[in-house]
Amino acid sequence: MSQAPSEIAIVPTPQLAATGVGPHRRRLQMGGEGVAGYLFLSPYLLVTAMFFLVPLAWASVLAFYQTNGPSSRVFVGWSNFKFVLGDTDFYVAVRNTAVFAAASVLIQLPLSLGLAMLLSSKDGRAKNLFRLIIFLPNLVGQVFVGVLFSILFTPTYGLFNRLLQALTGWGLDQRWLDNPSLVMPAVIIASLWLYVGFNMVYFLAALQNVDQSLVEACRMDGASPLRTFWTVTVPAIIPVATFVVVTSTIGSLQLFELPYTLLQEHGGGYGPKNSGLTIVGYLYQYAFRNGDLGTGAAVGWLLTLLILIVSVVQIRASNLFGSTK
Amino acid sequence: MKEFPLGNAALAMLVVMVLSIGATLLVPAAATAGKPDLVMAIFSPEHVAAYRPVVERFEKENGCRVQLQLVDQKALQDRLQSSLQVGADVPDIVELLGGTLGIFTQARVEDVKLLDLTDRVESDRLKERVVESRFGRWTSRGRIFALPHDVHPVMLAYRRDLCERLGIDVAKLTTWDKFVAVGRTLKDHHLPDDVVGRHYMIDLPYDGSELLKLLLLQRGGLLFDSNGRVTFDSEAAVDLLCWYARQTRGDNLVGYSAGGGQSFSKSLIDGLCLFYVCPDWRTRQFESDAPSVAGKIALMPMPAWEEGGRRTSTWGGSGLAITRRCKKPDLAWKLAMALYYDPASVAARFPETNILPPVKAAWAYPPFDRSSGYFSGQAIGRSFADLAADVPRDYDSAFTSQASNKLVEAFANIAIYYSANGEVGLHDFAAGELHRCADQVRRLMGRNAFLTTASAEAAR
Repeated sequence: MSQAPSEIAIVPTPQLAATGVGPHRRRLQMGGEGVAGYLFLSPYLLVTAMFFLVPLAWASVLAFYQTNGPSSRVFVGWSNFKFVLGDTDFYVAVRNTAVFAAASVLIQLPLSLGLAMLLSSKDGRAKNLFRLIIFLPNLVGQVFVGVLFSILFTPTYGLFNRLLQALTGWGLDQRWLDNPSLVMPAVIIASLWLYVGFNMVYFLAALQNVDQSLVEACRMDGASPLRTFWTVTVPAIIPVATFVVVTSTIGSLQLFELPYTLLQEHGGGYGPKNSGLTIVGYLYQYAFRNGDLGTGAAVGWLLTLLILIVSVVQIRASNLFGSTK
Repeated sequence: MKEFPLGNAALAMLVVMVLSIGATLLVPAAATAGKPDLVMAIFSPEHVAAYRPVVERFEKENGCRVQLQLVDQKALQDRLQSSLQVGADVPDIVELLGGTLGIFTQARVEDVKLLDLTDRVESDRLKERVVESRFGRWTSRGRIFALPHDVHPVMLAYRRDLCERLGIDVAKLTTWDKFVAVGRTLKDHHLPDDVVGRHYMIDLPYDGSELLKLLLLQRGGLLFDSNGRVTFDSEAAVDLLCWYARQTRGDNLVGYSAGGGQSFSKSLIDGLCLFYVCPDWRTRQFESDAPSVAGKIALMPMPAWEEGGRRTSTWGGSGLAITRRCKKPDLAWKLAMALYYDPASVAARFPETNILPPVKAAWAYPPFDRSSGYFSGQAIGRSFADLAADVPRDYDSAFTSQASNKLVEAFANIAIYYSANGEVGLHDFAAGELHRCADQVRRLMGRNAFLTTASAEAAR
C-alpha cells in the first residue's frame, strides 16, 4: 500500500533546519499543499458546477417538462421533442442556420485566408495597420454590428445601398431586410465584416509556421504559386484550418444576436417568412418569450446533438484530407 | 503572530469571502429599513416625468412614500413574469405594455398573480367615466386585471403644403378606395422643387408589421376574440392582406416603407411619402424628429373601409396593474385613480405627452382645444378626442406576439404570391395562408398545459 504524501518521512537537511521549520509543520505543509491546491481551484470548480454542470443536468430534466416560467411545470415525456421535430418553423430555423454555417465555411474562411496571405507578405509597410483595421470590427460584437447594419441596409437612404448604386448602378431601393431571399445574404454580409478579420488572425499565425525553405525549393523547381500553395502551404496550415473550420461552424450553429438585432423591426423580429430565424432564435422564442423552458431545453439538446455530429464529421474529414497530403 | 496555515493568499481569499457574505446579508437588511409604502415600475421615461408631480402631491396628501422605478420594457416584462412565478419580490404597481397582459394571465383566474380589479372598477363606476372599449385588452375571462392608461386613436398625418400644391383635397379622401385612387395618380405628378424621384401617397411598412393589426381592427377584425380564440384567419383579414399586398407591391402601389428613425425623418422632410399613420403618441415623434416641417403638417381622420364607416383605429397602449403581493392595495388603487383618472391632473399632463387620456371628463379642459403650431394650427387634442368613441375594441392573449408574427408571415407569402401571379387566385391563396398560420397558433395554444385549464374556464 502506498503511503499518503503527508506521511512521507522527511529527513531534515541543514538548509531546512536553518529555516526553523520542524518536521511536524513540514508534514502539515505537505498535507496542506494538496488541500490548498483544491482550495485555490475551488472558485473555478464552484463556478463550473453552478453555471455549467448543474444547468446541464437541469436542462436534461427540463426537456421532459412543459413549464410556465421557472416554477410551474408539468411532466410531458417526449412531447417537447415531438413538437419541435414536427414544427415547420424549426426546420426553417435549421435551414437558415445551415445556410449561414455553409457561408461561413465557404465564403468567410477563404476570404480570411486570402487576406492573411496578402498581409503576411514580406513587403508592404502598412500591413500592420491593415491587420488592425480588418480585425477591429471584431471588437464591437454582434449586437453593435446588427444595429449598425440595420441602418446601413435602409432602402434609398442607407449607406450600403448608396454604395451599391454608385458602384453598380443597382440596389438603391433594395429591401435587404424585408425581402425573404435577401435576408440571409444580408446577415452573411454583416457577419463577414465582423468575422473575416478574426479568422484572419488565426491564418496569419498559421502562415508563420510554413517552412519557407520548402516554399523556396518549390519555386526553384519551377512550381507555380498555386501548386506551391496547394502542396506546401495547405498541408502546413491544416491543423489550424481544422480548428478554424470547426470553431466557425460551431459558432455559426449558435448564431443568434446578429440576426436578432438586425431584424428587430422586420417581419416580427426574425425577418419576413422567418427568413432570419436561427436555431438559437427558435430556442429563445420558446424558452424566454413564451416562458416554456422545457421546449427550450429540448431545442438546446437537439442543437447540441447537431453540433456534435457536424464537428465529428468535420474533424474526421480534415484528418482524411490531411493524411492524403 | 502565527502564520495562517495555508499561506497569505488563502487568508486573503477567506477574508474576501467573509466580507462578501457579510455585505450580502447586511445590504438587504439596510434597504428594508427605508422601504417605501408603494413601489411602481414604469417602462416609459415620459410617463415617469409626467407622474412625478402627481406622486409628490399624493405623498403629501396621504402621508406615504411612493417610489417610481424606470425599467426597460422587455426587462420589466421578463423580470416581472419570472418574479411573479417564483414568488420573488415584485413592485406593488406595474405599468404593462398593451398586448402583454396574456403573459401574466396564463393560469386559472384565482392563480393569476395580478389583483383582480373588476369589483373596484364596478363600484367606482369607472366604465361610465372611461372609454369602455379600452378595458377589453386588459380583461381575461371577464375579469379586469389592469386599468387603461390611454385611448390611442389613430389619424393620418400628412404634408399639408405638398398636398395643396399637388391638388389633393383631403376632405374628399373619405374611403380607402378614394385614397388609393388619388395615390395612383401621384406616379406622374412632380413639383419643380422636388428632391425625390417621386412622391408616394402613404408610408406603409413593407412587411406590414404593426399596421396590419391596426388596419384589421379598423376593418372589424381581431387577432383573438373575447374568449381568447384565434380569429385572424377571418374574411376581413383575407381581404385586408390582399389589399395591403396591392398597395405595397407591383406597378400600381401607393405605399412606400419609410422605416424608422432618421430614415423616417428624411422621408417626412423630403416629402417622399405624403401621409403617415399617426396615433396620438406619435405626434410627439413628429415634432421632435422633424422640426423643420413645423406648420406644414396636418392631421385628418383615417379613410374608412366603406362610406360612413369607422375612421380611426388604435395602436399601442399601456395599463396599470396591481400585483397580489401589494401589501396596501387600497392605497395603490387610490394612487392609480390619481395618476390615471383625475380629470384635472390628466388634462394638465396632455401638453407634455399628447396622449389622449381615457377619462372622458378630462377632454373638456382647455389643453385639448389648444392649437398646435406644428400641426398647422389644429387643436390636435380635440381631433383625437372626437374619434375616441369609435376606437375599436381589442382583446389580448398569451399568444398575441406569436399571432402577430404569424399574421406578418402570412402576409409575406401573400405578397410574394401577388408579385408573381397578380390577382389570379390571390384570394384563395391568402385564405389558405391565413388558415395555415392561424392553425399553427392554435396548435401552439392547444399543447399548452397551463392555458388549457384557462381556456376551459373561458369556454364555460
